[in-house]
Amino acid sequence: MEREVLEAELVLPTHMKFKKIQMYDKYPKGQARGRHWKHLKQIIQAENYENYPPHLPTYVNIETPPSMHPGKKICDITGFEAPYFDPRTKLRYANTEVFKTIRSLPNDHVQRYLALRNAAVVLR
Amino acid sequence: MPFISKIERQLDYGSFNSSHPIVIDNGASYFRIGWAGENEPRVIFRNIVQRPRHKTTGETVTVVGDHNPVLLKYFDCTRSGPRSAFESNVVYQFEIMEYILDFGFDRLGADQSQIDHPILITECACNPVQSRGKMAELLFESYGVPSVAFGVDAAFSYKYNQQLGICNDTGLAITSGFTTSHVIPFINGEPVYEACCRTNVGGYHVTDYLKQLLSLKYPHHISKLTWERVEELKMEHCYIAADYASEVQLFQRGDKEAEEKTRCWQLPWSPSPVEEPPSEEEIARKAALKEKQSQRLREMAEAKRSSKINELENELKGLEFLLEELKDIEEEDEIVLFLASRGYASKREVESAFAKVTQSLRKAKGEQVPSEEKVDISAAEKYYLIDIPDDELSAEQLKEKRRQVFLKSTTEARQRAKQRRLEEELEKEKEKKLEEQKRMENPERYLEQLRAKYKELSEKLEQRKRLKTNGNNANGNNNVSGGVGRGERLNAAQRERMRLLTTAAFDRGKGEDTFGQRDEDWQLYKLMSRDNDDDDDDKPDHDETELARISSRLREIDPTFFPGSESGASASETPRFRPLTKEDFQIILGVERFRCPEVLFNPNFIGIDQSGLDEMVGVSLRRLPSWVQGLEDKMTSSILVTGGSCLYAGVAERLEAGIRMIRPCGTPIKVVRATDPIMDAWRGASVYAAAMQFPEQTFSRTDYYEKGEDWLRRYKFKYTI
Repeated sequence: MEREVLEAELVLPTHMKFKKIQMYDKYPKGQARGRHWKHLKQIIQAENYENYPPHLPTYVNIETPPSMHPGKKICDITGFEAPYFDPRTKLRYANTEVFKTIRSLPNDHVQRYLALRNAAVVLR
Repeated sequence: MPFISKIERQLDYGSFNSSHPIVIDNGASYFRIGWAGENEPRVIFRNIVQRPRHKTTGETVTVVGDHNPVLLKYFDCTRSGPRSAFESNVVYQFEIMEYILDFGFDRLGADQSQIDHPILITECACNPVQSRGKMAELLFESYGVPSVAFGVDAAFSYKYNQQLGICNDTGLAITSGFTTSHVIPFINGEPVYEACCRTNVGGYHVTDYLKQLLSLKYPHHISKLTWERVEELKMEHCYIAADYASEVQLFQRGDKEAEEKTRCWQLPWSPSPVEEPPSEEEIARKAALKEKQSQRLREMAEAKRSSKINELENELKGLEFLLEELKDIEEEDEIVLFLASRGYASKREVESAFAKVTQSLRKAKGEQVPSEEKVDISAAEKYYLIDIPDDELSAEQLKEKRRQVFLKSTTEARQRAKQRRLEEELEKEKEKKLEEQKRMENPERYLEQLRAKYKELSEKLEQRKRLKTNGNNANGNNNVSGGVGRGERLNAAQRERMRLLTTAAFDRGKGEDTFGQRDEDWQLYKLMSRDNDDDDDDKPDHDETELARISSRLREIDPTFFPGSESGASASETPRFRPLTKEDFQIILGVERFRCPEVLFNPNFIGIDQSGLDEMVGVSLRRLPSWVQGLEDKMTSSILVTGGSCLYAGVAERLEAGIRMIRPCGTPIKVVRATDPIMDAWRGASVYAAAMQFPEQTFSRTDYYEKGEDWLRRYKFKYTI
C-alpha cells in the first residue's frame, strides 16, 4: 500500500478495537453468503401494514397522495411549456424547432428523455 | 459550500465519561457524529462506502465516505461504485451501515474495548420496525452500546429552532432531504405522525435530473459530468422560480433578463493548432521538386522512344535490304526458298511487314499517320463484294459479303453518331453563349433566375425522393415497428402493395375467400416485392442532370452558393469538418437552473405521482385532528423549512405563495427558514441528549431482549422533556 494512502488512513482497518464482533467474524471471507438483506419493498411487505389499525401512522400510509392539480406538461427537451405531443416518439415539445430536434434524435436518446419522467418503454 | 467533510481523528475520546451520550445524525447523504451538548458534530462524511480493489496487491479494501479523489488512483473502482446503506430514507443494508459506523466511531477516537456511551441516532419518520430493530441489534451486539434512542431528524431540527425562538411550539416543519421530503405538524412541541406526509423526492432527484439533462444535452462531455460536479453545479446555480411558467417564458422569449440568468461553465479547452498556409519558399521548393521529377520522367520516355525508333529503323533497313535482294532473284522457286530461309511465306508478307514497320516508325517519330485517307481510299475496295448480287457468289464469298455489310453499316452508324455529337456540342456551345450573353446583360437577374430554377428542381427531386422512401430514413430510426406512423403518407411502393392486396381480397367472389386456390394468385407476391426503382423512366434522370448542371454553374459564378444547404441531411454533416471552438466546450445552464429544483414542487416532472412541497402542507393540514379550534391557522403561522434541499434561493417565497393558494383568504402565513438547515438536526439532537431526562428516553440492551420487537414497534420518543 502506498505511503500517502496509509497517511490519509483511506482504507478502513479490518480490525476495530472497540467492536465486540469483528466484520471478518461476522462476514467470513471466501464464503458465498448470497443476499442477506431485504429491499425496502420486501421490508414493507414483511411489516404487514395491512393488519394495523388504519389510524396508526406507518411508513406506507404517511405517503403523500397524488396531486390534485393536473400535472404541468413541459417540453422534454427545453423545459418550456409544451402544448404539443409527438405521437411517434411520445415526447412533448414546445415549438417547431424542438420538433425538428426530437425527430432527429436517436432512439436511445428519446428513450432516455422518456425515462426521465418515467415514461420509457421498459423491455423485460 | 454547505457540505464539508470532517474526518480528522478526534483525540479526546477518553476524556468523556461513560454516561456522556454520542449523537449520530444518520442522514441519507451525510453521516454526522459528535458528543452531546456540543454545538458542532466532530466527524462529518458522506454516507457512502466503496469497496475497490487495490491495483498492485489486488486485495479488496473498504473506503468509507468521500476522500481525496487523487488517492483513489491506486485503486480499481470500476467494479463497484459508491454504495449507500439507504433505500429511499430507510437503512436496509446493515453490512454497509456497519462499515460506516466503524469509520464514524474510529474517527471519533474510540479506543476502548466497546462503545460505552448511550447513543442517540436519527431515523426517518415511521421507520419500519425491521430497520429499527436491525439498527438496535447492530449497536448492541457489535459495539456493546449500553443504551440507544431513536429520534426523527426533522423533529430535532424543529425543536432546535423553536428553542431559538424562530418558530412556535405548534407549527409545521417542511423538511426536504436527500431522497425524501416530509411535512410534519407539531402540536405543543410533539410531532403528529398521523398527520405527516412524505413525498419521495429530494436532493438526489434534483441532482440526478440535472445530470441526466446535461448529459443528454452535451453527450460529448459526459465524462466531465460526474455526480460530484453536478452536485456542485446544483448547489451553486440552482434556484426556485417564483412562478415556473412565467420564468420559463422569459427564457422562451430570449429576453435580456434570461440571458443574464444563464450560467456558462467553460470546460478546459485549448484551441487546436491552426494549419498555416505554406510559405512562398515552400511552394517554390515543392514546385521545383515536382519539375525535377517530371523532367526525369520525360527524359526516360525520350530515351525509350529513341531506342524504339532505332530498333524500328534497323528492322526497316533489314527489310529494305531483303526487298533489294528479292529484286535480284528472278526464279520463282528460288524466291520461295530464299524467303523461307528468312522466315517469310511470300513476297507480299514481306511487303506488308515493311509497310507496318514504316507506319510504326512514323508513329514513333510523332508524324501524322494518314490512316483516315487510307480508309477512304480503301472503302470502295474494302467492301468490294457488297454490290455484287448474291447468286454470283460462292458460299465463302457470301459469308464474306455478310461480314462486309455488317462492318459497313457499323462504321457508318459510328460516323453518324459522331456527326450528331458534334452538332450537339455546337448547340450546347451556342446555348452557353446565349446564357453568357444573358448574364452579361443583367448578372443579378440571371443569378436570381438560376437560383430559383435550382431551388425548384431540387425541391422537385426531394419531393420525389420523399414520396418514394417516405422520408423514414431522414427522420431517424424512431419508427421501431417499421410500419408507418399514424398520419404518415404511404410511399409509392406501399401504396401499390395496398392496392394489390385489396384487389386480391375483394376483386372476385364477394364474401368467400378463394385466394390461393389457383396458382396465378401467388404471382401477386412477385408483383408486390418488385423493386420500385426499376420503373423509373428517364425523366428524373433528365432533371437530375439539369440540377447538376445548374449547381455547377452556380458554383462557378456565385460565391455564396452551397449545394443543398437547405436540406437537413447535409446540415448535420457539416459540423464534422468544423474545427472545435470554445463554445463547444461550454456547458450552458439556462432553464435547467430552476427546472431541476422544480421537481420538489412538481414531482410529476420526473414521473413521480405525488404532490409537491406546497400541496403537501394542504394534505398534512387535512390529516390533522379537526377538533382543535384554529389549529390550522396556528400551523400556517409557524412554518419552518429545513433540510439540505431547501437551501435554494426562493424556496420560502415559493412555499408561501403555494400555501396561500390552498388556504382560505386572510390566513396568517409565516414561512421561515431554519438557521442552518443542514446542521440543525444534529444540533437539536445534541441539545436533547445533553438534557438531564435523556436517559429516560433511551432503552437498554436488556429492554431490547426482554420486550421484543413488538415493543420496539410501539417505542415512541418524547421530544419535550
